[in-house]
Amino acid sequence: MLDPRLLQNFNGFTAHLVVADRHPVEMLETTLRKLGVDVEWLPLAGGRAVLPERPLSPERDILVVDGDLDAPLGTAGDPSARLLVPVIGLVGVETPGRLKALMQIGATAVLRKPVHGAVVYSALFVGMNGFLHRRRLEERIADSARRRHGRRFVIKAIVAVMRQTGVDDDEAYAILRRTSMRERLSLEDYCEAFVGRSEAKQARPDGQGRQVAGTD
Amino acid sequence: MTRAATRIGVMFSETGPYSVVTRSMLNGARLAFSEFAEQGMVALEPVVVDPGGDLRRYSELAAGLLGDGIRHVVACYTSSSRKEVIPLFEKHDALLWYPSHYEGFESSDNVIYTGASPNQHILPLIDHLIRAVGRCGFCVGSNYIWAWENNRILREGLNARGGRLIAERYLPVGETDVGKVVAEIVAARPDFVFSTLIGDSAYQFFRDFRAACAAAGIDQIRQIPVASCSLSEPELEAIGPAAVDGHLSASVYFSSLDTAESRGFVARYAAAFPDGPAVSADAEASYIAVRLLGEALAAVGDDGVPAVKAAVSGLRILAPQGPVWIDPETCHAHLTPRIGRSNAAARFDVLAEAAAPVAPDPYLVRTAPRFALATRAPGLRVV
Repeated sequence: MLDPRLLQNFNGFTAHLVVADRHPVEMLETTLRKLGVDVEWLPLAGGRAVLPERPLSPERDILVVDGDLDAPLGTAGDPSARLLVPVIGLVGVETPGRLKALMQIGATAVLRKPVHGAVVYSALFVGMNGFLHRRRLEERIADSARRRHGRRFVIKAIVAVMRQTGVDDDEAYAILRRTSMRERLSLEDYCEAFVGRSEAKQARPDGQGRQVAGTD
Repeated sequence: MTRAATRIGVMFSETGPYSVVTRSMLNGARLAFSEFAEQGMVALEPVVVDPGGDLRRYSELAAGLLGDGIRHVVACYTSSSRKEVIPLFEKHDALLWYPSHYEGFESSDNVIYTGASPNQHILPLIDHLIRAVGRCGFCVGSNYIWAWENNRILREGLNARGGRLIAERYLPVGETDVGKVVAEIVAARPDFVFSTLIGDSAYQFFRDFRAACAAAGIDQIRQIPVASCSLSEPELEAIGPAAVDGHLSASVYFSSLDTAESRGFVARYAAAFPDGPAVSADAEASYIAVRLLGEALAAVGDDGVPAVKAAVSGLRILAPQGPVWIDPETCHAHLTPRIGRSNAAARFDVLAEAAAPVAPDPYLVRTAPRFALATRAPGLRVV
């Protein structure tokens, strides 16, 4: 599902163009400027684009990369090295190999060369929002993985509460959930901290290691 | 030896559900042609064709004109007809002179846009509604791009200022059974109705809504005024005397403008077309399109598209609405936004106007929020 907050106005963005031949993309520059987007032509040195010294930001930068170039960003074949800004691909030779290279650098939209002005806003809209959508999904996947990792602490915490208070597992879970909400922590984060504190107290020589969720 | 006249295509529907406006557009263009003929400044030969409101006929007729060697065509009212013919103009590298207000988000290099873009009609209307009418609206429109996009812009504009839309309702183009939506609005009691209905649907709506409000004891003009960006004088006449007054319209031209240029334009138009339809903003935009085209042709000496485009960028004319010139980057016109309220004489009283012509912003890059409005409630934080 797409996030409802779609980016629609690109005024103030800078498009960094990585192309060998400007002629087929003249209309792209004209149309980008109409949309309030600044245009920077990135020089190529030894077939590699020379990126700006300042870090690129998805809040203000977009890369437009010619798919006919041979790995101009030096990242083809290495998905982990994908750039963290939106990429729009320029398609000349429409072969699986060239399209795959564009996907590997993270292209979320394409423009056919020679570029026609009427589709530039559409490519920006789809490309930028596709990038943002993908970034949100990646963040959710990372968050899910982190929470999955945290489930073992939830189980440990439930067992600890059952042992300490004599309640059953449902009630132990309810206590932990209630307390985590009160402390505005995710259940997994709260349980990890709870288990950590519980284990630390149990390890103390004075033997005062007992803690109950909601009372510590 | 006299130079042969340059043939100019003119394509407006003389029949169909919105022909009241398009016939006034045709008349506006004809008036400018006749003025050039009288002045002898440049020899133009209008080649007039009538698509009759049929979308397919627009393509066929445009292809015929362009295939016949014509390079400039003044044409189209609806966006759907414009979108239909633009590929042909791009293929032939010809120039479409599009003389109507529209919803923006387009800037073809083969079109000169002499009508208002959204920052010149809907944005000033939103300002006026918030300032003088209220913050709670109800949208009713004809089911096509003009209504969808204007409603989106209105929704964003209202939301940004703490206002809201109660509902958006759409009717098929040409639909005249408006009873259900009228009843819904009367029951909802918004501060205003925003109408993007066109043609016969709009005229029927104005009549039925006024009558329904009266039956419910509502003073429609004061309590639920209807605002729009497309209502013009010939349409007021089509609504009829029972419901003609009190409607708000955002436009760059009203025929009631009390300037020498406007008075002269209205008088010449009335003399040339005594049977109407009355002057409209789109008639003025058509007049402007032909004036700009003729003057550019006179300056260049032939009808080559690159030279005419270059020439038109340097022109500044004193139009009936005031100074008008074309922005070379977007090919849209600098125009003067105004807000009018219709009166019993089927004309508009001007309530507000910009101090100077406003630059076109067809993509709303200077005004639209970075992100579109969320269409569902934000998710709760899960802990």
